[in-house]
Amino acid sequence: MKRGNAVAVTTGVCLLFAFFFVYPALSVVGEAFRDKDGGFTFAFVVEVFRNPVYVEGLWNALLLGIASTFVTLLIAFPLALLSHRYDFMGRRLLGALILIPLVLPPFVGAIGVMHILSVTGSLNSLLIEMGLMDPDHRMDWLAEGRFWGIVVMNALHLYPILYMNIAASLANLDPAMEQAAENLGCPPGRRLFRVTLPLAMPGIFAGSSIVFIWSFTELGVPLVFNYSRVAPVQVFHGIKDLGGNPAPYALVAVILLISALVFILTKFLFGRSTSGAQPRPKGRDAEKKLTGLNSLGCAIIFATVFLVASIPHAGVVMLAFSENWYDSLTPIHWTIAHFQEALGDPLVVPSIENSLFYAGIATLIAVVVGLAIAWVVVRSDIRGRNVLDALVMLPLAVPGLVLAFGYLALSQEGKPLHFLIGAGGSPALLLIAAYAVRRLPYVVRAAVAGLQQSNPAMEEAARSLGAGTWRTLRRISIPLIGANVAAGAILAFAFAMLEVSDSLILAQQARHYPITKAIYTLLSTLGNGHELAAALGTWAMVFLGIAIVGATALGGKKGGLFKL
Amino acid sequence: MAVVMDSIRAESVVKRFGEVTALDGVDVEVAPGELFFLLGASGCGKTTLLRCIAGLEQPTSGGIFFGENEVTGLPPHKREAAMVFQSYALWPHLTVGRNVAFGLEERKVPRDEVRKRVEEALRLVHLAGMEDRGVDQLSGGQQQRVALARALVVRPRCLLLDEPLSNLDAKLRIEMRREIRRIVKEGGLTAIYVTHDQEEALAMADRMAVLNAGRIEQLGTPQEVYRSPRTSFVAGFIGETNLIKGRAVESRQGYVQAETDLGLLVGQLTDSDWMPGGGEEVVLSIRPEAWRVGGVRGGNRTTGKVLERSYLGQRIQYEVETRGGRQSVVQLNPDVVHEPGDELELGSRHEDVVVMKA
Repeated sequence: MKRGNAVAVTTGVCLLFAFFFVYPALSVVGEAFRDKDGGFTFAFVVEVFRNPVYVEGLWNALLLGIASTFVTLLIAFPLALLSHRYDFMGRRLLGALILIPLVLPPFVGAIGVMHILSVTGSLNSLLIEMGLMDPDHRMDWLAEGRFWGIVVMNALHLYPILYMNIAASLANLDPAMEQAAENLGCPPGRRLFRVTLPLAMPGIFAGSSIVFIWSFTELGVPLVFNYSRVAPVQVFHGIKDLGGNPAPYALVAVILLISALVFILTKFLFGRSTSGAQPRPKGRDAEKKLTGLNSLGCAIIFATVFLVASIPHAGVVMLAFSENWYDSLTPIHWTIAHFQEALGDPLVVPSIENSLFYAGIATLIAVVVGLAIAWVVVRSDIRGRNVLDALVMLPLAVPGLVLAFGYLALSQEGKPLHFLIGAGGSPALLLIAAYAVRRLPYVVRAAVAGLQQSNPAMEEAARSLGAGTWRTLRRISIPLIGANVAAGAILAFAFAMLEVSDSLILAQQARHYPITKAIYTLLSTLGNGHELAAALGTWAMVFLGIAIVGATALGGKKGGLFKL
Repeated sequence: MAVVMDSIRAESVVKRFGEVTALDGVDVEVAPGELFFLLGASGCGKTTLLRCIAGLEQPTSGGIFFGENEVTGLPPHKREAAMVFQSYALWPHLTVGRNVAFGLEERKVPRDEVRKRVEEALRLVHLAGMEDRGVDQLSGGQQQRVALARALVVRPRCLLLDEPLSNLDAKLRIEMRREIRRIVKEGGLTAIYVTHDQEEALAMADRMAVLNAGRIEQLGTPQEVYRSPRTSFVAGFIGETNLIKGRAVESRQGYVQAETDLGLLVGQLTDSDWMPGGGEEVVLSIRPEAWRVGGVRGGNRTTGKVLERSYLGQRIQYEVETRGGRQSVVQLNPDVVHEPGDELELGSRHEDVVVMKA
């Protein structure tokens, strides 16, 4: 790659990032530290910590984040270890199935779960039927366990991210590392703690920090569970009086600082890849083929996780098909009326069109920019390419909530980003920018992985045989990394379609709503709002399920896409 | 480090990976204190055999014995057969000292003794005082020696080395050959060493086994294997040789006279179980250095024309066109240099020619 091009790409990306990412994020922070006359003040942040409501909200968010991360780890680590060590029946299929929960925004799943856990829901009726519960003294699971309900929803949604991170770092280990321990007299159990775990730490920490930041700033699930004493929800409700009240700004600033701190700590303290420099030798895989009961046992563990993780999805689908569902395990009568009615709802069809449009354009931008960045990072030798690489990963550390909030504030009348608001107050450009920036890391990681695997000598060979820069790109480079880039793009697209915070906060008028906001709005409609929301959610699930299966099939190596 | 060492025995070991047969009934016995080599091209099964001995692979059938004890079903961590891996497999999250101490800690050796023995092991591999280094900070040769120290420090019943020198540069490799042999011999260790490098095997081995397609082709000392190959595969794999087809004319007292395109040649039999009948097809192996320019008295003789010549300092290598095809000829310590086109008279002693089954 020509040096000049590399410098141009780097400069361009840095400018774009400065404008669409750093500036909005910092402006939120800046607003939190600026008093009425424009001077610097800690007063608002101090106020946040003085206000018991906000302190409780932050504390709850922090606890949610920590608890969700631990539960996620409890699910993901054993799974990753089993699939690393053993070959059991149906491993490939089950390994793909357990990634499926990613397809549903957890807050949609929460709708299903609410119907399962409510006083007259499936769980209670099952328990009553089995004679384990007195029909007159029903358990209100949601009231008792709201906090843990959110934790479980987060964990069931996020464990695939952690699973893939851990699986990837285990797969990158030289099998001889573990064999050497065994050879020196270390039995398999202890080997896990002395060799395997320490070596897998970078992957565990990388995945955990994503999961923590995600659940720490999760907005959708607490909203649906009506758990308002948590910081992201407080920010969401605080938007209504944006302008006068600096408290939401200060709260967002605190959220951002905590997220950034966690990200930096994990990346630089624990995430340092200790085995990074050595390429994986070609040594044979050390996985053991299981037979009989052991093999069945492993398969059952995977299947159980998949089934439990699909309970919310099943709830949503059942709800979408239910005519009435009250005091029974499954709906009493089934109907497809909600799907027909949903199509007639003024919110639904436009929201699907909007989401396809926003997510499509955002993905296109992310792919073009992401490819250029990956090229600079892998193939050029300019200084600062590592800084660029780290920079584009930052959106993973900045909660969607913060960025959405920044965009919202900066696009007010008279603010620098106001020009992004289209005719009739359309948030299209804002949402596209937000989606593109937040999903860029996936595309960059995928493209970087692809480029690193393809030897530059292959391109040089094409050049030496007389192909020009463009022909080399078209005939050699893109076919070589095409699958990786496509996988990254599909994921970026799927996640853009699912995006909650940006969508909820930035889309203000019904005809501009993306799918997630339409679902959220339908939820609060009286009558059959829940069923309509579930019907729309079912459509989204089917659609995203296909996208994710496609992405993993194209992506080949598991995990690479989600690695930090 | 004087320990009582065991012999290692593999009895009709078969290992199949699905359709592929990696080991096809291998019998081998390594004497206590012996440095034994498994030599073969990649894919011949040599590493699989080593891994079966270490317990990292389970043989499909057959048994592995350490001394009188069968260890076939024993998991690797109970075998006390320390292995040096091709990739070294040093753990990057532990220092040099902790890497070496690992096996001792697993054996619950008291802390003072661990420190002493780690120190001793590092001194043995000339890395004294490097305990606190990170393994990333070491050069390839140093990493190799840490891997060796890590295996030696536990005083294993046998030492298994899987192509330990293949990642080193040529000069270091030659240095480490001497080092490893010194360490193995000083410790009186029973060691099995896997390599595809025949020079390494010739230089270091007490005895060696040449493997081909999952079977042992020949077992013997380096000199036996080089001087008296039993099959044309061994003759071609160990060192360079000229293979000449022919038909046996008569056999007498371990020698065979054969009719070839080069004329009548006499050579030695190496397979004591076999004596070719008259007219049976045979293959003769004549090493390039067995051909003497100018001929030898009472030996085989032929003539040819020099096609190519490579001057290599201590020797000259000629390609000579004879009536039986091209022959490779090496002249050691050359005083006269022949040019392409020159006619040469070639001769070889009967005992330098080997006659094998076709």
